[in-house]
Amino acid sequence: MKRIYSLILSVAAVLFAGSCDNKFDEINTSKTGITSIDPVFILNQAIINSSPPAATLNYEVGIVQQQISPNTGVLLGGNFNQVNINSTNQNWINFFQNVVRYTNDVISRTSEDPARQNLYNMARVIQANAFMVLSDTYGDIPYSEGGKGYTDAIVFPKYETQQTVYNGIISELTVAAGALTASAKIEPADVLYNGNIAKWKKFAYSLLLRAGMRLSAVDATKAQATVAAAFAGGVITANADNAYNRHDANFVNGLGNTLNGTEAANFYLAEPFVTALKTENDPRLQSIAVRYVGAVSGNAQTAAVATTAPANQYGLPMGSTDAQADAAGKNLPGGGARYAFSQVDRTRMVKRTSPLFMVTAAQSNLLLAEGAVRGWVTGSATQYFADGVRAHMDQMATYDAGSAVSAANRDTYVVAHPLNVGSTDASIAQISYEYWIASFLNGNEAWANLRRSGYPVLTANPFPGRSVDFITRLTYPVSEILVNTANVQAAIAAQGADALDTKVWWDK
Amino acid sequence: MRKNYCIVICVAALWIAAFSPPQANAIGRPGAVHVQATVTGLVTDENNSPLPGVNIIVKGTSSGTITDTDGRYTINVDNGQAVLVFSFIGYAEQELTVGDQSTINVVMAPDVKALSEVVVTALGIERSAKSLGYATTRVGPDDIAMNRTANWMNGLSGKIAGVSISALGTGPAGTSKIRIRGQSSISGQNNPLIVINGVPIDNTNFGTNPGNLGSDGAIGNRTGGGITSDGGDALSSINPDDIESMTVLKGAAASALYGSRAKDGVIMITTKSRGLQKGIGITYNLNYTVDTPLDFTDFQHEYGQGEYGVRPTTPDPTSGQWSFGEKIEPGMTQTLFNTPGIPYEAQNGILKKFYRNGTNMTNTVAISAGGDKGGMNLSIASTKSDGITPNNSFDRKTVNLGFSYDLSQKVSVRGNVNYSNEYNKNPPVVSEQDNSIPTALFAMANTMPLDVMEANKYNAGGGEYTWSRFTNRVNPYWALAEQFQNIRRDRIFGNVALKYDLTNWLSVQGRVGQDYWSRDQDYTNLPTGKASINSGSIASAVSGFVNGLYTQEVRRFRETNTDFLVTAAKTFGDIGVNVNVGGNQMRRRADLNSVQVTDFVVRGLYTVQNGRAKDPLYDLQERGVNSLYGQAEVNFKQFVYLNATLRNDWFTTLAPENRSILYPSVAATYVFSESFSMPRWLNFGKFRAAYAEVGSDTDVPPYSNKLFYGVAANQFGGQPVGNFGGNTTVPNANLKPMRTKETEIGFELKMFNNRVNLDFAAYHKITIDQIVNAQISDASGFTTTRINSGRSQNRGVEMLINLIPVKTTDFQWDLTFNAAYNITKVLSLLTDTPGSNITVGNHVFNGSLQQIVGQEMGQIVGFGYRRDDGSINPDHAGMIIYGSNGIPLPTAAQIPFGSALPNWVGGMTNSFNYKGIQLSFLIDFKLGNQMLSGTNFNAWRHGLHKTTLVGRDNQPVINGAKEVGGIVVGEGVTATSEINTAGARVEDFYSVVRGSGLIEPVVYNGGYIKLRQLSIGYDFSRFFTKTPIKGVRLNFVSNNVLMLKKWVDNIDPEGFTYSSDNLVGMESPGLPTTRSMGFNLNVKF
Repeated sequence: MKRIYSLILSVAAVLFAGSCDNKFDEINTSKTGITSIDPVFILNQAIINSSPPAATLNYEVGIVQQQISPNTGVLLGGNFNQVNINSTNQNWINFFQNVVRYTNDVISRTSEDPARQNLYNMARVIQANAFMVLSDTYGDIPYSEGGKGYTDAIVFPKYETQQTVYNGIISELTVAAGALTASAKIEPADVLYNGNIAKWKKFAYSLLLRAGMRLSAVDATKAQATVAAAFAGGVITANADNAYNRHDANFVNGLGNTLNGTEAANFYLAEPFVTALKTENDPRLQSIAVRYVGAVSGNAQTAAVATTAPANQYGLPMGSTDAQADAAGKNLPGGGARYAFSQVDRTRMVKRTSPLFMVTAAQSNLLLAEGAVRGWVTGSATQYFADGVRAHMDQMATYDAGSAVSAANRDTYVVAHPLNVGSTDASIAQISYEYWIASFLNGNEAWANLRRSGYPVLTANPFPGRSVDFITRLTYPVSEILVNTANVQAAIAAQGADALDTKVWWDK
Repeated sequence: MRKNYCIVICVAALWIAAFSPPQANAIGRPGAVHVQATVTGLVTDENNSPLPGVNIIVKGTSSGTITDTDGRYTINVDNGQAVLVFSFIGYAEQELTVGDQSTINVVMAPDVKALSEVVVTALGIERSAKSLGYATTRVGPDDIAMNRTANWMNGLSGKIAGVSISALGTGPAGTSKIRIRGQSSISGQNNPLIVINGVPIDNTNFGTNPGNLGSDGAIGNRTGGGITSDGGDALSSINPDDIESMTVLKGAAASALYGSRAKDGVIMITTKSRGLQKGIGITYNLNYTVDTPLDFTDFQHEYGQGEYGVRPTTPDPTSGQWSFGEKIEPGMTQTLFNTPGIPYEAQNGILKKFYRNGTNMTNTVAISAGGDKGGMNLSIASTKSDGITPNNSFDRKTVNLGFSYDLSQKVSVRGNVNYSNEYNKNPPVVSEQDNSIPTALFAMANTMPLDVMEANKYNAGGGEYTWSRFTNRVNPYWALAEQFQNIRRDRIFGNVALKYDLTNWLSVQGRVGQDYWSRDQDYTNLPTGKASINSGSIASAVSGFVNGLYTQEVRRFRETNTDFLVTAAKTFGDIGVNVNVGGNQMRRRADLNSVQVTDFVVRGLYTVQNGRAKDPLYDLQERGVNSLYGQAEVNFKQFVYLNATLRNDWFTTLAPENRSILYPSVAATYVFSESFSMPRWLNFGKFRAAYAEVGSDTDVPPYSNKLFYGVAANQFGGQPVGNFGGNTTVPNANLKPMRTKETEIGFELKMFNNRVNLDFAAYHKITIDQIVNAQISDASGFTTTRINSGRSQNRGVEMLINLIPVKTTDFQWDLTFNAAYNITKVLSLLTDTPGSNITVGNHVFNGSLQQIVGQEMGQIVGFGYRRDDGSINPDHAGMIIYGSNGIPLPTAAQIPFGSALPNWVGGMTNSFNYKGIQLSFLIDFKLGNQMLSGTNFNAWRHGLHKTTLVGRDNQPVINGAKEVGGIVVGEGVTATSEINTAGARVEDFYSVVRGSGLIEPVVYNGGYIKLRQLSIGYDFSRFFTKTPIKGVRLNFVSNNVLMLKKWVDNIDPEGFTYSSDNLVGMESPGLPTTRSMGFNLNVKF
């Protein structure tokens, strides 16, 4: 009997002695998960995700009256100046989760590593760009605590004023741009410039130029100092230095994906944009637009009826609903329905594989032109202006060979449109108009500069059911109101109502 | 495959050979003296009324008979030593030796042994029912096998007190969603543990729920493209004909011995392991049912297809999902696709036109053998189901072998093995936009003829012909033709137990069980040419390729359980002691090999080699639990029982300092009817009470203590791209197990000769330290973090009333009523401040499911109508506020609309037996739950819902143009409390549910009362007494017979497609529910 007991006990002991042994840790160690990776690969993801997200079609691109949809429902937004909670949150989600989360990871793993100082500073530049888009969109945002859910375990970050955010961005860009050095380890795996430090520096100073100019209305002194510093550092003035993602079949252009996919027949160039280009005989209209003459459906938008002739382009009137657009489409040359209005050409400029730009020579030159007009930078405003316009014309070929603007057409336009130096305001109006066109498809930047400069002057969206005349910021995501309540409410109390027409701090 | 069958059959043959010879000899013993004698007699009940249908067999043989309608019988016996065994349900079995009698009259006495019925409890320990201090429900084989649905578990809906079973609208191989005593866990799954013959099996289900991570979060889904479907659960691998009995352990006290995985109760299934009588028996069972789709839609048919009051008159319209067109008048025509002149008339009953009648047929042949030392049961079954979706089918073949044998007086062995081979073809895509036939059909414009849809499924390029400006709303016929999914699963599970009786009071048992399956799946997430990726006629794939997305994957799963159990039982005078001590080691390993490819060289060839960009994935997850446990029971004169258990679990998924958890349970039972002399009418009375704790790591997936990197499948610009592998949860290395504490009391009464039986239970359950996947600020870079903080409380009562209102010689009426009331409150999340909340799931469209402190669990949350507060004009208080554009304004913040969990679940079965003809029907109900209806959400914004007729005929002239779509002037006030006069265009007005996320119009009471089952049957056995056939029973059955009461418009309130509790109450279009009718034939040889 005793033997049996001891047998049972020893069997039990053998079976379960290991209850707490380190086999458990072995079982709970992933055999497939990667726990460390070269941080430059992570930065690459942040760079790719810095392209404007597809949802900018719903708001930003429509707010600046370049492309709109006549459809309501999921596509509601800047087309009817109403709140669509499914779209207002997209910049927030994209830049916090897909950019800042990654840059934070890179920064936390390289800041103390002397060998990776260039990588560290590259990540700071990309992060500064993300925070600029976020703050331009929403105003006050989580900044110093933003994106630190893992690195610092901050899951309910506090908000900071846009002024604080911009101070931070300017300081970060200044330090990072200055610290980037060709004498330290180069990061050839970087997908933006393959580790070219000179280009990274120009990119950083261009963002600094952009950030400084953003403050022109609210804090001219700081704006001037920042712009001057950026200019001194050297910004992107040639297309070869442009900061852009060369999207491919695997990492697709989000806008192109939408415009070639579910919403192919649902977005049209807006009338104010087409009319402006037509009026000015802008050769870029031919690069951008296509119209399917007589089309009464998406299926009827075939190559056979396509025309890219500038004179035959017609933009969809702002505020048009489906029925109004169909009715208006009937009156177009060749008839048709809403499907017969001009679209951005999805076989050329917005293919799935077309590039998307963050910062371009055109934009920097135009900002320098404004800086020169204001006396903040040296050089000829007229020259900067012409260089900017020229750069954008040349940039069109990067989208697609079929979108290229010929040198002759480019020069004809530039000669016909010299900078109006009659008054500061007239110059700035003209520069801002060109900036508007040069920022086509980068809704975030087009919208921010338009609000900041006040140009081009756009007519209020005529849609009778609009909530506001002009959208000056997007509302915070519903999820923030829900889970980060105290912090977001503090921001709302400081900034003003969480509405589409509350103005952000720099928007004076 | 073939080989497997061979092995099983060989093993079976050996068993039969082992058992058969002695019996064969016993029956036809050569040389035995045959002194044939005939015995007749009358069998009566305790009131001297004749009892028909009493079973009489000659003990030790297979010969027998039953009493006729007058209670009389005649039987032949070999000699005077023969013993007759009289048995009848509800009465004590009697054995009488024939001797020299030729007439034996028998008075049957009600079975007091029924009171000492044996119940299989946790770990397979058999205990007398009366000793149990907690609630269990035993389900007999007839309840399971006779009236069944494609997934047999669904047939038990409404039959078990406190158990809520929901069939999902996902096809014949779909998941059964089972909840015992409500839902306790704030997030994740609340599935009961499924135990077969004492050993747990995996009940993971795949698909359906976007982001569903399986039962314990361990087995992920591959995302990408539009495909969500229900891949089924483990119960669908079991042939119901193999089930001998099923016991449901409801409370923590009942399941405490199973520990962590049993916090939501246990469903214990015992499969057949030997013949019920000596010798060889063969049973054949045929079950055949036809499923008819049910159409509950009541859409408007006054205004037809179109938008803003205009019907389609130009080629290629894209209003195929909109019914905001013109008023339908005779003779009107429309242009659809490229065809003008199609009559503009209402299309009724499209669900019945599109879907077909489904069929289920199961053939089972079982051979059983029994003898003094043991026996075996071998069954082979084939199930063929055709779903109502025309290309959907489910085939299953199962082989089940159960055996038990006493190797010696001390050593016995028992085991079972179940093999199933399943092929689920084209499970319907539900709750999605892309590829989803149900979503497209439920929103189909009401003048769209299906034959036109079918004729125009392809465009000139062979792609999908665009018909809706929501291009992801697929043409159902195109989806049938181009989209496919194959799921093949081989599953083998079983266990072997060896028991050694050391003495007559001490035994030891060792057991090894394994559940293994492999599952191949391949599917076209996005078939080539699908409109949502095809951009009309403009080519969009990479040059040289056609577009599309295809996934192929293989999963393997293995869970092994090794356990031992020492049992001691001894009586010391009036005191009985029963002690069990045991341990278990569980190990689980799941891996996934998957390749997803984008774009193809050769059109229509969906293979990995044919793809352009390939994204391979290999994932391996392992976890384990070690456990030690013990149980001790002491009874006094078998009427007072005290029982205690103790269990310690060690979890691999938790940090070393948190991985061990010890939890106890105690239970007491007092059978007062046996301690005092009771009035004659009281046959049995018992009071019970129990307290138990259970710990669990259920909501912690392996490796959730770390954040892992991933590398993108393709390089970008020649450079690698890293990421966090799609993980948006902040890891937490310091999670503790959650703990459930449950108190339960109950009583049982049997009265008036057992004609009135009551069983009542009340429980109070607190679940603390819940592992909450809490939503955090997106600005943190992540969306959720896992923390231990949730606390919830379940309270409820369960009652079971069993009555025999009428009982005469020829007729008996049995009535069983069960009802359970449960309310689960959220006590704490991140904090215990009332109103503090987390979002656990989002509806496909708008609205979400939240847990809110101080509220019932499972709140449906979204924007409601903003209402006047009465501060300006008290008369206007509560009226809806409209914006200056005439569109109703949403509330400033999202508001809760009530819990999606039912408070009341139950059913009532009435069965009538008239001279052997059995008629029974079951009415079941779920009440007190809210639901957010995605089908009605679409019906609103697409103009199908009858409410959207309001305003259509109001067509004023505005700016010189008649508003043909109509203008709605909403009843209510403006922001300044003036009566609203602003009109809005009809289509914009009803689209408010999308743009503003205003869900109030589509939140409904989700309760129902249904006539669930109807069956009529007869036992024909008496006509076959002179044949080798021992029994023939035929039942006609019908399921989901009639909707008696519901509150939701246009759909069956059971039309859900999600198995996860994170999306409970979130309805989005699934298959229509079905009514099944058929028969079950059972023949015994």
